[in-house]
Amino acid sequence: MAKLILLWLKCVVLWAIVEAVFEDQVGKFDWRQQYVGKVRFSHFDTHVQSSKKVLVATERNVFAALNTRTGELFWRHVDKTGSEGNIDALLQHGQDAVLVVGNGRLLRSWEINVGGLNWEVVLDSGSFQSACLVGQQDMVKHVAVLKKTAISVHYLSNGHQKWIENLPETETVDYQAVYSDGNGEVYVLGVVPHSHIAIVVYSMEDGEIIKQMSVEAPWLYNIQASCVVVGQGMLTCVDSAGVSFYMLDLHLQLQMTQVPLQSLALEVDPGFHPVLLSHQPNPARQPLSEFFLQLGPDHYQLLQLNNGQIAAMRDFKPALLVSFATTGEKTVAAVMSPKNKTACSVNLFSAETGRRLLDTTLIVNMDPNGGKPEKLYVQAFLKKDDSVGYRAMVQTEDHTLTFIQQPGRVMWTREEALSDVVTMEMVDLPLTGTQAELEGEFGKKAAIQDGLMSMVMKRLSSQLILLQAWIGHLWKLFYDARKPRSQVKNDVTIENLSRDEFNLQKMMVMVTASGKLFGIDSKTGGILWRHYLHNVPPNAAFKLMVQRTTAHFPHPPQCTLLIKDKDTGLGTLHVFNPIFGKKSHVTPPALPQPILQSLMLPLMDQDYAKVLLLVDDQYKVSAFPSTKNVLQQLQEMAASIFFYLVDSSQGRLSGYRLRTDLSTEQIWEVIIPPEVQKIVSVKGKRPNEHVHSQGRVMGDRSVLYKYLNPNLLAVVTESTDLHQERSFIGILLIDGVTGRIIHEAIQRKARGPVHVVHSENWVVYEYWSTKSRRNEFSVIELYEGMELYNSTVFSSLDRPHAPQVLQQSYIFPSSISTMEATLTEKGITSRHLLIGLPSGGILSLPKMFLDPRRPEIVSEQSREENLIPYAPELLIRTEWFINYNQTVSRVRGIYTAPSGLESTCLVVAYGLDIYQTRVYPSKQFDVLKDDYDYMLISSVLFALFFATMISKRLAEVKLLNRAWR
Amino acid sequence: MLQRERIPLQLIFLQAALVVAWCFTDVETGPGAGVSTQPNGDRFKIEGRAIVPGIKTQDWVSTARVLVEGEEYVGFLRTDGSFAVNDVPSGSYVVEVVTPTYRFEPVRVDITTKGKMRARLVNYIKTSEVIRQPYPLQIRASGPHSYFMKRETWGWTDFLMNPMVMMMVLPLLIIVLLPKVVNTNDPEMRKEMEQSMNMLNPNPELPDVSELMTKLFSGSKGSSKAGSSSKGTRPAAKRR
Repeated sequence: MAKLILLWLKCVVLWAIVEAVFEDQVGKFDWRQQYVGKVRFSHFDTHVQSSKKVLVATERNVFAALNTRTGELFWRHVDKTGSEGNIDALLQHGQDAVLVVGNGRLLRSWEINVGGLNWEVVLDSGSFQSACLVGQQDMVKHVAVLKKTAISVHYLSNGHQKWIENLPETETVDYQAVYSDGNGEVYVLGVVPHSHIAIVVYSMEDGEIIKQMSVEAPWLYNIQASCVVVGQGMLTCVDSAGVSFYMLDLHLQLQMTQVPLQSLALEVDPGFHPVLLSHQPNPARQPLSEFFLQLGPDHYQLLQLNNGQIAAMRDFKPALLVSFATTGEKTVAAVMSPKNKTACSVNLFSAETGRRLLDTTLIVNMDPNGGKPEKLYVQAFLKKDDSVGYRAMVQTEDHTLTFIQQPGRVMWTREEALSDVVTMEMVDLPLTGTQAELEGEFGKKAAIQDGLMSMVMKRLSSQLILLQAWIGHLWKLFYDARKPRSQVKNDVTIENLSRDEFNLQKMMVMVTASGKLFGIDSKTGGILWRHYLHNVPPNAAFKLMVQRTTAHFPHPPQCTLLIKDKDTGLGTLHVFNPIFGKKSHVTPPALPQPILQSLMLPLMDQDYAKVLLLVDDQYKVSAFPSTKNVLQQLQEMAASIFFYLVDSSQGRLSGYRLRTDLSTEQIWEVIIPPEVQKIVSVKGKRPNEHVHSQGRVMGDRSVLYKYLNPNLLAVVTESTDLHQERSFIGILLIDGVTGRIIHEAIQRKARGPVHVVHSENWVVYEYWSTKSRRNEFSVIELYEGMELYNSTVFSSLDRPHAPQVLQQSYIFPSSISTMEATLTEKGITSRHLLIGLPSGGILSLPKMFLDPRRPEIVSEQSREENLIPYAPELLIRTEWFINYNQTVSRVRGIYTAPSGLESTCLVVAYGLDIYQTRVYPSKQFDVLKDDYDYMLISSVLFALFFATMISKRLAEVKLLNRAWR
Repeated sequence: MLQRERIPLQLIFLQAALVVAWCFTDVETGPGAGVSTQPNGDRFKIEGRAIVPGIKTQDWVSTARVLVEGEEYVGFLRTDGSFAVNDVPSGSYVVEVVTPTYRFEPVRVDITTKGKMRARLVNYIKTSEVIRQPYPLQIRASGPHSYFMKRETWGWTDFLMNPMVMMMVLPLLIIVLLPKVVNTNDPEMRKEMEQSMNMLNPNPELPDVSELMTKLFSGSKGSSKAGSSSKGTRPAAKRR
């Protein structure tokens, strides 16, 4: 018997493999874009002249090397999210890059050519302050890490600690900076705020304190913000009030000398905290004696320290950004200044003289829908004639990186905002002009009034237009076929966007955490529009809704983005056209009250825009759009509009009904005691989901009807007690209209994170079993039974029988990042679960593996029903990875959308990367497969045709011969 | 009992572990070296090495990561394929080396509160079963991931082995071969055959397929060696 089961299982598994990707389909309809996140530190690899690498360490805990020619990744290392993977510092020396990670917890050295780790050491606890490379006799061999209470020096070659010393007087002194200029000493600079600077000098050899001194500085409270070391070890500070410079020679212990800014004829903008910028090209040598002083938001001054005297060299106003760059022995200063409204120019200046270098202007075009430039990184190199050439990498506040070559050629652009997509929607593309014309023929009222003759004429003319378009298309195909393949460019621009015949190409509208919106063509992955929303609060929550689709020509499609500040609850609406990204002329209502809930109604106003209801904290409802027509419809419909609110802090789940005067009335409330368990997530069904079959045919030909309640909510709770014996998770199925609890299940000895998918008549959830230390899947299916109570309409208010509940659990051999179910046009195709794994794979698991009716003992009936016998463990087969080796790091969400083909579901996985593909859960049953052998079929046909011809001729000859006989 | 039997094996592992550990921690002794290698508080370090047979480590380490219990702890591979995941508290973890190209088996590592480590095979069903694995981990790739399935290609053998085709081909062969075996040019034989055919065929008006085929094929053969056959048939006609 067991053998039989095994055989059966094998058969099933073999059958199920068919979902896999074929090798020749790679890149045919899928694409991936890899991102790194907002850049925090960046270094150009300069140890080889011809190097094409730029190292970036980002706020999303990613360390990567980018190709400066193309902007693509050489390699990328994704660390843990959160503070433990946070990159505190990036130092580069030769082939090694040293990172301080996790608030000074780890020190890592990377080999930048290969992208492998050289070494990693754990540092003693203590919060990280600063790090620097330490050189001696022009050789850099050590790295010094300053913590709050200790300083340690490590070998660059293997990470071993050379020495560690506790800092003196840590109770009073706040040590903030470490400095070394290659003379065998390490300077640690600390400050007692508003009192004095403490300087401790360590010997590089053994960590002995050589000198210790304190200098009066009552105006100083933060060294890193207001001090730099310039020239021959001169600590130069500017006080926050911006009145004067203070200088201190670190080698000679003297008083601080004060130089009033006025003596240099400098004046700080009122209310601006002046900032100093210095440059140390080689850690084994002294820093440059030239440095920048920022006097205002767009005002910089290049200064020089000469024999203890500061001299002003050049004034830059207006200047947005400045940066130093060194190549060989030459150091240049790059200054970015605004040119006009849409462009900035970068110029190089010699650091020693302050003179402008000829032919070094570079024009940076600014995107009007983008942000302001924030950082400037300059890669300088020596040209053949020994003059300095450069390329610039500009980072803007919308997290875009642009790499520009002289005289302004953009080599590449990286939209790093896309590393943090929050929510997205897929919008159908509009019809082309000719298609729309055809559609218009039927829609317009005028058509009815026209006579028969004109209708015929219209029809003929539109057919003619179609024919013309088709011939044009054929001609283009023919024309392209003659050209070599590499030259054929299918540039998709907004102008030539149009829906394809199966609606497989759509517009992906992506909302990112930084507040930048993108419109991406789903076929190629090209960014068609981008729009940066200013003034988005940093912890905003977003909800994107499609109010009007493209189906209502000539009305433009319309999307509405609700941006809500999580702290205050205040929201704003941004209404835009999802195809072009332009802000709509429709003025959204101002929202003076915090918003609790927003819901999209199936009602439409006279312009075919769906109605958006917003519930504020006074339980008042406002509608957008709020025309008379809408309000009238709302009054008529009010009795059947229900909504629910979740207050997870108080564990309250409540249902409301709309009254005709747009006030609300509470009709039910479920309290989940927040001391015992907290509500983690509430999931309803997707409104655009269709269920094709009402029931399942059993082995004995009877029908088991599904419980298809569109108002069902799946509420997941987690226990507040996290002890592994007592923790549990709960799942509640509540009817959102009546508040009736349909089902309740508790999973003991389990904890989150819980991932839930709620669809059709089933809920699948995944949790961590603390008892067995493994991830488990559980599936709940609801059935009405053998008879349907009311087969035409489902009403939550009239459903006397409780549904039958079936549940089964399985072991899953991996943790998961996110989960979603496939979605198709009519719901005929079988469903798959798309599971994002931490390894980066996206697993397409057939729902039939998660079926609570899987029998433990195979019977004739269950075999008839195609039920797979129960096996406790679900398998992960790499053939089921829809993204093969195109791993998606840190998958955060999977978005599924139906296409025009019933068999095909469009999938977008987003996280650090974005991956788009199509899946065919039941294979491609409605179109010819892409491996369909046209050649074979046509050759067989031709062969048969010729065979008949020949045999006919032969038969004739034969007959003739016979007649002559 | 089982444990006792395993002791020599464990010793070997321990030795191996020592050797490996010795390789990892370089012998250079700076002042205070070794502090960082010791467990910090009650946090421990999971060490090991990943090997892809026949492939240089430089070619794959940059895409690899070590995941401990999902993404709870993350480690990276050194350029020689070894790895260490720092800052792991005591507990039981599934350690996985993840690359898009090569498949590595996961290993469960148990760390006691005192920092004793052991590695064992992952078994999600019998979670307490212990099948020891070497520690520090030695994870060997079991080959490249197979992401793709093969296309069904069209081949002659597939076509010929198809039962439908077989059913068609066999009668065809008989039809072709039969006229050769039986001499159809023999007039008596032919008469006999025609008679039997007529008996079989209820409607003589309708052309019989097999007859047609027979004639056709014998005819075509005749026409291919046109000269001789026409000479051969003509005298026969005259004789009649």
